Amino acid sequence: MTRRHHALWLGALLGGMVLALCSAPAWSEDTVLKTEAFGTLRRPVAIFDHDTHNEKAGLDDCAICHHVYQDGKLVKDSSSEDQACSDCHALKRQGRQPGLREAYHGACVGCHKSKGKGPVACGQCHQR
Amino acid sequence: MERIYVFVSGPLAWIAWTVFVVGSIYRIWHLLKLAKEKEQVLFSYISFKYAIRSIINWAIPWNTNNMRLHPIFVGVAFLFHIGFFLILAFLSAHVILLEEGFGLGWPALPDIVADMLAFAVLGACIFFAARRVVRPEVAFVTDWTDYALLGLVAAPFLTGILAYHQWGDPLVVTLLHILSAELLIASIPFTRLSHMLFAPFTRGYIGSEFGMVRHVKDW
Repeated sequence: MTRRHHALWLGALLGGMVLALCSAPAWSEDTVLKTEAFGTLRRPVAIFDHDTHNEKAGLDDCAICHHVYQDGKLVKDSSSEDQACSDCHALKRQGRQPGLREAYHGACVGCHKSKGKGPVACGQCHQR
Repeated sequence: MERIYVFVSGPLAWIAWTVFVVGSIYRIWHLLKLAKEKEQVLFSYISFKYAIRSIINWAIPWNTNNMRLHPIFVGVAFLFHIGFFLILAFLSAHVILLEEGFGLGWPALPDIVADMLAFAVLGACIFFAARRVVRPEVAFVTDWTDYALLGLVAAPFLTGILAYHQWGDPLVVTLLHILSAELLIASIPFTRLSHMLFAPFTRGYIGSEFGMVRHVKDW
């Protein structure tokens, strides 16, 4: 290959990379957790592909994550998938109700720890 | 690997802190017992006022004559100790763990500041190691255990930096970070890192003798 060829290939490669970076967001909306309620984020958004996760984890019952609590008690046979976590969980802890970040960490890492499966270290979900 | 992480970040952390607390109490109790048995006179020369005066003066960088003889070393040593404890208590990831684990909470350092401090602490460890090679009077009293202790102190900061920047596998790196920190915490009472426990006693005694008996400053 001539030097000219090298330059052409390199140009095409760089152009392709720029195009790929500009056209596709790193994560589409369904593969990360909702974070609007937090405002400015200190860490990269936690990766969470809802359907893949539930298939892998064998989860059929929505209420395991989308729970409903009333007066500090879990309401059985009731689920809350029509609501955002932040509808109930404020940013700060309120009495026994964990704040939003703590609720996320508790639901995700808490379950992963008890099952011994899934991401448990900070950088596994909050990928740069 | 997840199960190892759960063990290391849970029960092993409790074990490490227990070894640290019980070991520290034992070492201090043993020191006082030894003093009582062999050098009871020490107790009659201890003065709270002069002890505190000496400790405060030696806690200010470049405040003592001796420190001014080694200005660079003193600067690095202060940066190292301040950075060590600031990161330990005010790194945002640490604060979050405390908040979610124990319901304690306080403001955290901005990440960029904590990151720079971590690099500074690591750099200080390299500086201390280099000093042990380069300065003949220090090299003379250095053996392999000094480098091992420096490695022990540097390890949680190196792995912490790797974990924060996500260089390497996050689970492995974070696991190594927690493990190395636990090893460090548990070894404080039983190695020369015990200066953390004993420095106030030695400084306080010297301060007392200089202040109360000789009526001079010890800085």
